[in-house]
Amino acid sequence: MRCKTATARVAVVAAAVTLVLAGCSESADSGGDAGPADESGPIKIGAVLDITGAGASLGVPERQTLELLAEQLQAEGGIDGREVELIIEDNQSTEDGAAQVMNKLVNQDQVDIVLGASRTGPSLAMRPIAESSQTPMISLAANQAIVDGSEWVFKSAQNDRVVIERMIEYMADQGWSTIGLARDASGFGEGVQEMFDEVGAEAGISVVAVERFAPDATDFTAQMVNLRDAGADVNVIWGIPPAAGLAQRAYAQLGLTTPVMQSHGIGNQVFLDTAGESANGLVAPLGRLVVAEQLPEDDPQQEVITAFVEDYTAEYGEEPSTFAGHAYDGWHLAVDALREAGTDPQALRDELEGVEDFVGISGIFTMTPEDHSGLAKDALVLVTVENGDWTLLPDQGN
Amino acid sequence: MTDLLQLVFAGLSQGAVYALIAIGFVSVFTVSGVINLAQGEFAALAGLVAISAVGSGLPLPAAAAVALATVAIVAVLMERLTIRPVKRMTTLVSLILTLGVSTALKALMLLVFGPNAEGLTPFTPGGFTVAGVSIRYQELWILAIAAVVASAVYWFYDHTLAGKSLRACAEQPVAARLVGISLGRASLMAFLIAGCVGAVAGVLASPIYFTSWESGLTLGLKGFVAATLGGLVSVRGAVLGGLLLGVLENLTAGYISTGLRDAVAFLLLIVVLVARPSGVFGRHAEARV
Repeated sequence: MRCKTATARVAVVAAAVTLVLAGCSESADSGGDAGPADESGPIKIGAVLDITGAGASLGVPERQTLELLAEQLQAEGGIDGREVELIIEDNQSTEDGAAQVMNKLVNQDQVDIVLGASRTGPSLAMRPIAESSQTPMISLAANQAIVDGSEWVFKSAQNDRVVIERMIEYMADQGWSTIGLARDASGFGEGVQEMFDEVGAEAGISVVAVERFAPDATDFTAQMVNLRDAGADVNVIWGIPPAAGLAQRAYAQLGLTTPVMQSHGIGNQVFLDTAGESANGLVAPLGRLVVAEQLPEDDPQQEVITAFVEDYTAEYGEEPSTFAGHAYDGWHLAVDALREAGTDPQALRDELEGVEDFVGISGIFTMTPEDHSGLAKDALVLVTVENGDWTLLPDQGN
Repeated sequence: MTDLLQLVFAGLSQGAVYALIAIGFVSVFTVSGVINLAQGEFAALAGLVAISAVGSGLPLPAAAAVALATVAIVAVLMERLTIRPVKRMTTLVSLILTLGVSTALKALMLLVFGPNAEGLTPFTPGGFTVAGVSIRYQELWILAIAAVVASAVYWFYDHTLAGKSLRACAEQPVAARLVGISLGRASLMAFLIAGCVGAVAGVLASPIYFTSWESGLTLGLKGFVAATLGGLVSVRGAVLGGLLLGVLENLTAGYISTGLRDAVAFLLLIVVLVARPSGVFGRHAEARV
């Protein structure tokens, strides 16, 4: 017994020492090159992405996108002749990791603008730092809480509210009135149930059962058994791959035949690979990127999306995900604003807030002082999966 | 009733994976007093190697063999390079050393295999339903192979000379040395066993539970808890501990709250350490292994 208590204590000490060491090694590479932001040196764009950990399937394509776009910009000669330096940091899909690297970018690197993070939780952790240091920040994540009432924070992914509006519309069309919800237990899923109830109230749609899963969960038997027992008209799985895909697979495997809807968090190949055949028939509101080839010719986003898909595929040999699209939009919002307003933080922020009809990958952005997300529900199309591929749903239920 | 059976069955298959990892902890701890925090990484590494071997065109059995061999080599190297050279091994030193190895292995896996979580192709895809309980063929594979491996380890300790010499080292290190058993060789053998059971666990679990560079942490912790439930010195206790933990986790997730799933292991750990430090299944002062 004594041995084991000592063992436990030692384990804690050892872990602490390791973490401290890891912390030291990370901060060791920051040089003293941080000068005050001026109008002559290189323009610095920081990015905080979920490159490792639960958000890896989001963060990796986002990093690839930013690197590609930075290279293209470099080849064009930067912004007004000024070189653009892109500094990418990994938050390891954790909130404290995000806050730590955000502090580094703001205080040591003194970046002009920050992109990220990939997911809601880390983005929320970065928000107070952006606000207090008055650094413009463009999150690539979904939850509306990231930008609610913010002054310096913007975001490029569709708000969960517009996603839920789109889903409720579809449910009302189908005549469904009860929802069984299995949601991500982290920031992405926070408040989702309440929002379904709020948006659905008018149509008489409400959530009757809620199950949660960790973003890195791998076994979903318990959640799906409980959803099966709840017997709702439609079940919603709200998460990101691979968890969302594994949940979908468990759903099919446990013999649930109730229709499934998923969130806009699943727009990548990892989801399709993970879910396999079980994904067939699900309905999800996604950005137009995943169904680029099926869009009508006159779609206003067609040109932007096609060009991006070509560039990305040529560089990386795989098609970009919707998350890559969020990074593309974030980057271009930032670069356009820097081009117009320069690196003065206040001017840059005002410029972002005034963005109007910017045609991006995830939709057409129009920011206002009240809405720092800029996308309405027409930024989403209803997509289903047929034979392992995204298919535009013929009935968009408009 | 159907729900209960479903949850218990899913728990058993998950528990079988914990059990194999727990055997790894036990085999190393009994011989050398080392708590090998890299045990979970053995499983993660095996899963990742098998996935990339299948990805490069090898058939599944060959890929599994490559994974097993790789991890066995890593385990042996680990023992020779980090455990053997230490003159006076204490549990404290072993924790720090193996934590270091674990961190290094994780970094290596991240570099080589990238950050994404992936699953191995199932041994037999699909599943069936009995009495409302849906069963994946892979779960049957997990249970069957885990049973075979656990029995083999048990038989090895009980019926072979090498196994008996390991038990001798565990029970009476001085006496074992006096009769000519090499503690060094015993320790090497223990790590080899730990590597093999860890690798089997990793390959078996990957199709359902997925593998990433960091999945070893959770697997290792759960395996450690399972081993502790069995008193940390008994193969049988480790197996029972693993199964119990898997089932309890699923029942908690199903009937209480899914958020508590991962807390179960650690609550159990505290209760056991306080109330029954020699394990829930064993009598006090039961012979080791």
